[in-house]
Amino acid sequence: MPATSSRILVIAAVLMGGLSGCATPPPPDDPDAVADYKETNDPLEPTNRAIYAFNNALDTAILKPVAQGYRYVVPGAVRGGIHNSLSNLATPVQFSNDVLEGKPRRAGDTTMRFLINSTVGVLGFFDVASDWGYPNHDSDFGITMALWGMPAGPYLFLPVFGPSDPRDAVGLGVNAAMDPFTWVGQGAAVRALDWSRWFMNGVDQRERHLDDIDSIKKTALDPYATFRSLYRQHRTSQIDDARNDNRATIPVWFPQSATPGQVTYSPTASRN
Amino acid sequence: MIIFQRRNFMVMTAAWLLPGSQWLARPADAQGATDRASALIKSIGDQLVAVVNGPGGERDKRARLTAIIDSGVDVDGVARFCLGRFWRTASPEQQRRYMELFHQVLVNNITSKIGDYRGVRFQLGRTQRRDDDAVVSTVVERPNNPPTNVDWVVSSPNGDPKIVDVVAEGTSLRLTQRQDYASYLSHNNNNIDALISAMRQQVAEAG
Repeated sequence: MPATSSRILVIAAVLMGGLSGCATPPPPDDPDAVADYKETNDPLEPTNRAIYAFNNALDTAILKPVAQGYRYVVPGAVRGGIHNSLSNLATPVQFSNDVLEGKPRRAGDTTMRFLINSTVGVLGFFDVASDWGYPNHDSDFGITMALWGMPAGPYLFLPVFGPSDPRDAVGLGVNAAMDPFTWVGQGAAVRALDWSRWFMNGVDQRERHLDDIDSIKKTALDPYATFRSLYRQHRTSQIDDARNDNRATIPVWFPQSATPGQVTYSPTASRN
Repeated sequence: MIIFQRRNFMVMTAAWLLPGSQWLARPADAQGATDRASALIKSIGDQLVAVVNGPGGERDKRARLTAIIDSGVDVDGVARFCLGRFWRTASPEQQRRYMELFHQVLVNNITSKIGDYRGVRFQLGRTQRRDDDAVVSTVVERPNNPPTNVDWVVSSPNGDPKIVDVVAEGTSLRLTQRQDYASYLSHNNNNIDALISAMRQQVAEAG
């Protein structure tokens, strides 16, 4: 609970602080420039860039070296297992969002993943469920709100958390509030476990993107704009995947099974 | 996918309902184009995997990658797309220099990644029509990495299929590049020469 409220405070601070530095809109007599400005949809760009620089400094000083050390010290197979365990701990939130998105087959996948991986997969260390036909998928409250028809809004760069938008920033807070581990227990030990899980999540994610981020910073002329573009495209694709997953809920043993046109989703392995 | 199925269905229905054999020719043509696109990706993919996993130094591999890119990718088309509206305002001389540099930047970006892709394998998936293009889905597998969904957009305006975009996990390479250039230009007074010199510096740094 203290963890959640401080995270929400950070987000609120960004939302309010962001209003101070605004990009200058182009003159209205230049229709191409106006179209570009609208497409970019980053009215807080100067503030966002300042936070981007701050996060970059933080990353160079702390997160990246930690992730490099983690990669150096921990063998790949163990890192994969840790990633699987962290992802298994996130299944309650994933499940809640599958349900809120109205995706029963995804909720079923998540349930099966949790049951199989927590037992056969030794507390989530091995992702047996993917091999057994229950692949992972992305599901969070940002995606849920998108499926409910809420627009993303302008681009936001959050301190520590990085690329976002108002919808995803709210989603971040709601996800934390949805997480049973946020509410379980009291005391220093529980709080320490909660924080170490968040810390490990950060290190795990950063380690998995060490090469990508280096490569983008090396090849992009404007890395800030490239990350902005990639973030939006990636979110759009996650949302489309969820939206287009309309597998029928009729059990396979039912005589009149799904009509051919309805089974349109082919399970694909997901990154996160 | 449901959209594609519906469209195919509608085209077929139209073919049955409307008199005139020109309607019957369309689905067959589209089928031929998707088959050619799929064959192109199979061939290019096999060549890329052979170079990446094969022997030889970086210099040698770079030369062979350049040859593959030249034969399979519509580099000029991608370059024009990435410059967006500024292509029209560029002078012929700027267009020529930009085109030349873009080609080198593309080869550099691809070559700089090959070290990370040793042991790569790919599986060819289905091919769909999207507007006038064919989209060939593949799954790329690398050791110690989760499988990645990569879609190859193939365009064949004059019968000769060429790759015009690569979409990895929903992120389009050419769209990302275009937005990178657009942002760079907007922070440099939309000066195309500034972009060209920045690209030249990139190429020089890459060696």
